[in-house]
Amino acid sequence: MTFVVTDNCIKCKYMDCVEVCPVDCFYEGDNMLVINPDECIDCGVCEPECPAEAIFPDTQPGLEDWVKLNGQYAAVWPNITIKRPEPDDAKAFDGVPNKLEQYFSEKPGQGD
Amino acid sequence: MMNSAAKLDHVSEDGIRRLVDAFYVKVRLDPELAPIFARAIPGDWGPHLTKMYAFWSSVMLTTGRYKGNPVVKHLALPGVQPPLFERWLALFDQTCGELFDDGISAEFRAKAARIAESLKLALFYRPDRRWPPEPTG
Repeated sequence: MTFVVTDNCIKCKYMDCVEVCPVDCFYEGDNMLVINPDECIDCGVCEPECPAEAIFPDTQPGLEDWVKLNGQYAAVWPNITIKRPEPDDAKAFDGVPNKLEQYFSEKPGQGD
Repeated sequence: MMNSAAKLDHVSEDGIRRLVDAFYVKVRLDPELAPIFARAIPGDWGPHLTKMYAFWSSVMLTTGRYKGNPVVKHLALPGVQPPLFERWLALFDQTCGELFDDGISAEFRAKAARIAESLKLALFYRPDRRWPPEPTG
């Protein structure tokens, strides 16, 4: 089992999660992070750290597509373990619905 | 015998050290777990204990002190079978109960159980087999 990053991370990308993760399982895209489901040990430390409340356990119903997306992009995006400042407009995008369709970028982030 | 009033009611680095030290004393005396650990840690236990202080500090105090890949470490261990995780959890739970009050013990237990389940999945889950695995006896 694993935790997954979901819609509200997109364009918020606060990155508080990467500092507390004991197993360095976050991977950075251009405008969101994902969790590698094969490395996550389900400790749950990241969940309450996320200011955007975008991280959930995969046992929660309805997250199947997010589980897939996390696994898919964790395989190609760079690892991220050190927090950088969030985007300037992070607050403005916090809580905006359906960011996946409108704003998701497949491009990799810069990583550590 | 520690009386219940003396039990720790919060998690601290010192409490974690005491828990880890007491737990691994039990592990090293346990007929099922001791051989696995003895093979994995044939020499000085100091580095392993230090790593476990950091791990539990990261998990319980969100300090980020541990950085590692426990899935890979566990995959490399020969002889680990699913029932050993239950044994590990039982000893861990017992040790928590000896040191911490009921609320804190329950927090440790919940974390340990989730992590154990995820390690078990990583080690033993195969899409073509039943989950959870049949007891091996």
